[in-house]
Amino acid sequence: MVASEIHYPATIAELIDLHRENPSLLLYAGGTEILRERGGRFVDLPPVIALLDGIAELRTIHRTEGFVDLGAGLKISELLAIRKGTLPDPFVRSLRGIATPAIRNLATLGGNLATRRRFMDTWSILACLDATVELRDSAGPRWVNVNRLADEEGKPALPVGTLLTKVRLPLEAWTHSIARKVGNPAWPSDESATFSAIARIEKNIVISLRMAWAGTTAFRFPELEGRVVGLRLPIDPLDRSDIVEAFAERAAELDPTAASRLARIVDATLELLGR
Amino acid sequence: MTITFILNGEDVSVRAASGDRLVDVLREDFGLLSAKADCRKGTCGKCLVLVDGRLVPSCMIPAFKIRGREVVTLEGYVQTMEYEDLRKGIEEAGLETCGFCESGLILALGSLLESSARPTREEILETISSVQCRCTDPETTISAALAAADHRSRRTYRRGRQ
Repeated sequence: MVASEIHYPATIAELIDLHRENPSLLLYAGGTEILRERGGRFVDLPPVIALLDGIAELRTIHRTEGFVDLGAGLKISELLAIRKGTLPDPFVRSLRGIATPAIRNLATLGGNLATRRRFMDTWSILACLDATVELRDSAGPRWVNVNRLADEEGKPALPVGTLLTKVRLPLEAWTHSIARKVGNPAWPSDESATFSAIARIEKNIVISLRMAWAGTTAFRFPELEGRVVGLRLPIDPLDRSDIVEAFAERAAELDPTAASRLARIVDATLELLGR
Repeated sequence: MTITFILNGEDVSVRAASGDRLVDVLREDFGLLSAKADCRKGTCGKCLVLVDGRLVPSCMIPAFKIRGREVVTLEGYVQTMEYEDLRKGIEEAGLETCGFCESGLILALGSLLESSARPTREEILETISSVQCRCTDPETTISAALAAADHRSRRTYRRGRQ
């Protein structure tokens, strides 16, 4: 077992310098996924670790009329404790579905998004909300859509050596939101996934609809969502069946094991919107 | 590495390896056996402790992460007035905990009453979901938590009047 060198950076600039000097540096925030994956009496960790707890810049909350910026180091329980109405309701509802209160006291928003083996709970709702994330490296900060955390095949794509420092949520009004977890709700495995849907419905007509899936692969199909917009609820069963089939076909191109599960959830979602 | 932190109200230092989990440090270096290492995945709730007042599974915290923090185990919590309120509530409700879940359940309810003077049923059920033990029925646990909340509010009211 290697004795790791532990660093306690106080600023993002300090962390970026540390990262440049040690490309294989392990960024340690909540650490729930890191320790869960390793199990056992002793945890075998990489030789150099940076603990992110002391970086105040990663824990800021800034709200304007149009969006709210959340520091990636905020814990899930801290986000749930923010005054009601500050964060979009569909986002808060998704956070409540994450693990147990004790784990939520450790797990961070950034850690939830930055795992490289699979997608965790927050990606699907953030994709629906069209959230953006601030990425930083030695070249400076840049904002990208959360979709960019998945590559063309839907696999995790946060570049090595890049820090995820903030998440920006647009503040829009949604009349409906649905969140579903597939697999073991307590802890993610390769079989588990999250599905999120948000919709704006006026006078029984779908004005806007977004749906996203995140497991070992993550995806959202805006062109298929567009086929639902303008439809009157409840959706005609034949139309619904066509739409569900189209989602399953597109999903099968990326992840055949997810296709049938996604089809069932999309079907149930479209039915639920009509009730 | 040497890690300095506050444990059950006392400043302590311990030599730990970077791969040591807090639960093992508590048990092996300090002889505090109330936190038990079982699943080592943060799911069973047998190793719950309070770190800076927040309920966390100590198997999911590497020792280096507690530098400068305040850790409370059941051994420390039973010395507090808050535990007395909880003990009375547990007795009145007839809640019988097993040796495995007792520590986690008491600290979970203690942390809840710290943040919510009169918790709802949903809040209590949500909190005890951190402890995976089936020896106690949820309704009795809810009664115990509400009775403890009553004792706590009466005690703090009396203290406020003195």
